[in-house]
Amino acid sequence: MNWLRVFFVGGLTSYRALFNWISPWVFFPTLVVYPLFQILFFAYLGRYAGVQNDDFFLIGNTFVAIAVTGFFGMGHSVANERRSQTLASILASPASRLALFLGRALPSVLTGLVVASISFTLGALILHVHVGARTAAELAFAALVSSFACTAFGLCIGALGLRGRNVTLFADSIASCMMLVSGANVPLERLPGWLQQVSAVIPLTHGIKAARELSNNGHFSAAARLLLTEVAIGVAYLLAGLALLRLFEYEGRRTATLETF
Amino acid sequence: MIRALVTGTRLYILQFTQNAFDLSGVVLWPILYSSIAYYLLGAKNDPHLLFSAAIGAAVIAMWSLVAIGSSGALENQRWQGTLELLVAAPMPLAVSLAPITIANGVVGAYSLVATLTWGTLLFGVPLSIHSPFAFAIAIPICAFAIGMFGLVMAGTFVLYRAATHLGVATQYPVWIATGLLVPLSLLPGWVRPISWVLAPTWGFRAIRDASLGGHPWADIGVCAILSISYFVLAMVFLQTFEYVARSRATLRLT
Repeated sequence: MNWLRVFFVGGLTSYRALFNWISPWVFFPTLVVYPLFQILFFAYLGRYAGVQNDDFFLIGNTFVAIAVTGFFGMGHSVANERRSQTLASILASPASRLALFLGRALPSVLTGLVVASISFTLGALILHVHVGARTAAELAFAALVSSFACTAFGLCIGALGLRGRNVTLFADSIASCMMLVSGANVPLERLPGWLQQVSAVIPLTHGIKAARELSNNGHFSAAARLLLTEVAIGVAYLLAGLALLRLFEYEGRRTATLETF
Repeated sequence: MIRALVTGTRLYILQFTQNAFDLSGVVLWPILYSSIAYYLLGAKNDPHLLFSAAIGAAVIAMWSLVAIGSSGALENQRWQGTLELLVAAPMPLAVSLAPITIANGVVGAYSLVATLTWGTLLFGVPLSIHSPFAFAIAIPICAFAIGMFGLVMAGTFVLYRAATHLGVATQYPVWIATGLLVPLSLLPGWVRPISWVLAPTWGFRAIRDASLGGHPWADIGVCAILSISYFVLAMVFLQTFEYVARSRATLRLT
């Protein structure tokens, strides 16, 4: 019972306290205006280059918005404990670490889905992309899966924040690279071989592929395999994140550097 | 005032070159955007188009650094508790803030080196400058004009609680409206008049025309006129903000 309380109540409270982007003053410019204009920018660039159609860039950049939310949401909600000098108190408590940190992942996953829905809807309206109700529901499911994978990756970023100085820089750099490496804006077959290999093991790539599959052909069975791969990648990063948290907690205790910068 | 401007600009340039976030902006962002442009536009097999995309990506990075730096300029001073001291200093607030935005523009100019090197080494974009003198003049004028445009933004966003995030949100709209990677002819007609009053439009054209051949001096002239206009506008905005904040005692926005 206590585990569930820490997971749900503690997770939501910590997320709201530590991820200040959910304040309307920040949410609107960063998670509504920014992704919307990103979609438009790349859609127009695609039209100019004569590469792919608007759907391609609409889906790709909607998913990049999910990545930004997941990386920053989870990264901040873990790493900001150190910045606000509450990390020692948290780690001294007898609460389950799993409940403590996974509880913050749930609101992050849901925020990603909300951001994706807003970006996609507004982008589709402006670019005149029509999506049926059934496809929209399937795309929402794909977005949820990718949001989980990105949040799991965000947990790794947050864990690095227990040792590193600047999580924002790290999250920003990786989220920016996602625009290229995940195939959000460039068809994967145009990337060099080594970059394609990287794209195969990062979150988002398979989610975007699955979403495009759903949008083009509407066959959920074809996309299911890709979504399963995305879930597997998410689980791998989740386990890596938890292991990193454990490692950096141990290192921080051993060297008494939990709150030093 | 001139000494304050020059010393301040020099100080902030040194400071930004030590800042990991700014450095990543100078190196990573232009490489990323130019790579996306190369991979997408590469199909057209036009070296001039790729060179132009490299310059566009560099100006993208310049504007990003200025947009984020200038919108956060007053917010950072607020956080550090130094805004009151700046406002109380015996010189216009615009002169205290201008070095921050100009320095961001100048540091952003480094990104031109990054994109051109990247494009030449990895994508075989031919590096030839048609008019080296005009090119050498166009870069600092472009950086200065973009910095001054950032100063207007700093004066406009001061009463917004999360000004930095508002600055972040202006990046893509300005990239689109100034035709840095996508020609304005592809955009709706009403975007074109907006592009005329935005410094990155003319700065980009000046550097591109100096490199590929064209008439860069007219663009350089427009950049200079816009810079002066921006400075006057920023003075008015900041004086108004200062008056409102002093009379209501809301400098801290708390």
